[in-house]
Amino acid sequence: MTWTRQKERGSLAALRLMAWIVTRLGYRIGYALLYPIATYFFLSSPLQRQAVRRFQRRALGREPTRREVFRSFFVFSATLLDRLFLVDGKRHGYELRVVGLDLLNERIARGQGCILLGAHLGSFEAMRAVADTGCPVEVVALMHQENAANVASFFAEWGPRQAAAVIPLGRPDAMLRAKECLERNGLVGILADRTPGTGKVTRVPFLGTDAAFPLGPHILAGVLDAPVMIAFGVWTGPRSYEVHFQPFADRITIDRRDRQAALDVIVRDYASRFEDIARKFPYNWFNFYDFWEEFGTG
Amino acid sequence: MSSAIAMESEVAALIVEALHLEMAPEDIAPDAPLFGEGLGLDSIDALEIALAVSRRYGFQLRSDDERNGQIFASLRNLAAHIEKNRVQ
Repeated sequence: MTWTRQKERGSLAALRLMAWIVTRLGYRIGYALLYPIATYFFLSSPLQRQAVRRFQRRALGREPTRREVFRSFFVFSATLLDRLFLVDGKRHGYELRVVGLDLLNERIARGQGCILLGAHLGSFEAMRAVADTGCPVEVVALMHQENAANVASFFAEWGPRQAAAVIPLGRPDAMLRAKECLERNGLVGILADRTPGTGKVTRVPFLGTDAAFPLGPHILAGVLDAPVMIAFGVWTGPRSYEVHFQPFADRITIDRRDRQAALDVIVRDYASRFEDIARKFPYNWFNFYDFWEEFGTG
Repeated sequence: MSSAIAMESEVAALIVEALHLEMAPEDIAPDAPLFGEGLGLDSIDALEIALAVSRRYGFQLRSDDERNGQIFASLRNLAAHIEKNRVQ
């Protein structure tokens, strides 16, 4: 089963509940309730549990404990809770430690914008909160919204300003919007770890086993012809995040004569960079599905 | 040959060249959908077409144009739009 076909299992109901709680009772109560909420998802989601276990086994190099598997569910719930605040611009009480902001600003000073390659690791919203305050430029994100349409529309109501900064993929002119944002020296976030079911992929080693990664984000970065950085924001504790910006490429150039080989090299590079990050922050990996397409194979 | 048909084959050649398609320009049916079904192009291809159009014809296809769905619907529509807006 691919992630596109997985239901947004109860996450909308949980979000509504959390939103109701934090607006009336505040962050602390919301945080305390993460334990029962994460426990509910942990107990009722055997496939997701198995996905986390398989990931952690590779990232940690040993069998994870039940507590460690639970921790991934907890951290994911915590980032959803924080999203309720951050998407609405409420950064009060948050500690956002940033690594590499100077490198990002250096690229922005060139005036060509910057592409931020991310993954479903940690909180995109925390990364955006930093980019928003640390550099006075526009930040947009390209996203597959049909997969989480309910969650997306929930946040669109909750924080309309931030929601406007999402470019839904699927329309022919989606990429024109990304191009125009870069022309205004803005930042364009692209998640490059999930394959949307259709489209071109390549299999490259990731934590010791080949996994399918999409080519699209890298082809797009090449066409957009702007500097590329790797960016992610990991949850490190209650209302605490560490946001990283790392150089990836000044430009992605894809040799047309040997396109597939050129792309393979780039995707391999991306995967190995995210491998390091995933090992360092093993409880922030939010691909709760059969990433290596191995379920049912023992 | 009418000028509209001449324009269609010119734009078809531009698409094949910009996207390095392994097909002849005349194989693109003027009425067939360019994206999804039909030719099966994606939004990155749309961006590459837009960039090639701006280089060749000197005007920008913009994301805030409400008619984009229509403009990109087929070779015929795209060619007509270019003919109307070209500055070179």
